[in-house]
Amino acid sequence: MKRREFIQSMFAVSAVAVASAPSIVMAEEAKKAPAKKGPNDMSYDEAVKTITDGKGAKDSDKITLKAPEIAENGAVVPIKVTVDYPMTEKEYVKEIHILNTANGNARCADVMLTPANEVGYFATRVKLSKTQDVVALVGLSDGTFIKASASIKVTIGGCG
Amino acid sequence: MAEKRKSMIKIKPKKFKVGDTVKVDFIVIHPMDTGLKKDKKTGKIKPAHYIDNITFSFDGKPFTTMKIWETVSINPYFSVNYKVTGKGKITVDYTDNQGEKNSKSKKVKPKG
Repeated sequence: MKRREFIQSMFAVSAVAVASAPSIVMAEEAKKAPAKKGPNDMSYDEAVKTITDGKGAKDSDKITLKAPEIAENGAVVPIKVTVDYPMTEKEYVKEIHILNTANGNARCADVMLTPANEVGYFATRVKLSKTQDVVALVGLSDGTFIKASASIKVTIGGCG
Repeated sequence: MAEKRKSMIKIKPKKFKVGDTVKVDFIVIHPMDTGLKKDKKTGKIKPAHYIDNITFSFDGKPFTTMKIWETVSINPYFSVNYKVTGKGKITVDYTDNQGEKNSKSKKVKPKG
């Protein structure tokens, strides 16, 4: 009987060892990988590519982007965009995208406007992780894209 | 999951006529979790919870639609312009990534 018990215990120990080994490996891998990763992360260049369909955007002075130069709290940064462009049935501001350059997810908001808005205007508040640029990417009804950017100094980051 | 959230629509300025362009502000009380922050009580990472779609409509006709990501601040605020065409109701419908659906509406009463 003693021998049988001994063999059984040996099997039990080895089974536990096999079961626990992968979890140790997994934990080590998790330590190596970057811990912070959002569900829909997208870099700034990728975001511009997907929005403009690879065409890119030109800098324009038609857009006024109002943002603070120094944001003490990165969790709440007010952004105001006004586009100096007619809003008629034929030509109007179709979309306004608010993007950032250094957050995990570069996209903040995609706004689709119609001529009923009368003025190409949008305002919101965004989170910024560190000192970076905020970009307003504006799509016009003829299919072209224009953009304007403002750099914002962030004292305390507001992401995570 | 249909949790009732506090939200508010403001029309600026308060007095307006037909043909005026007004600002429509919309504020909703929402955590806008990024999925990166830890819960201080339990020590576990909070799952991402944010508003993803918003539609502004006047009498059932949508005039502005938005797609929002977690990079927008807590208790988000959105402001757009609208040209008043007559009496009616402005409705804002919003959904979030966990399936909550809510809406808020406000009557539009132009004078003169």
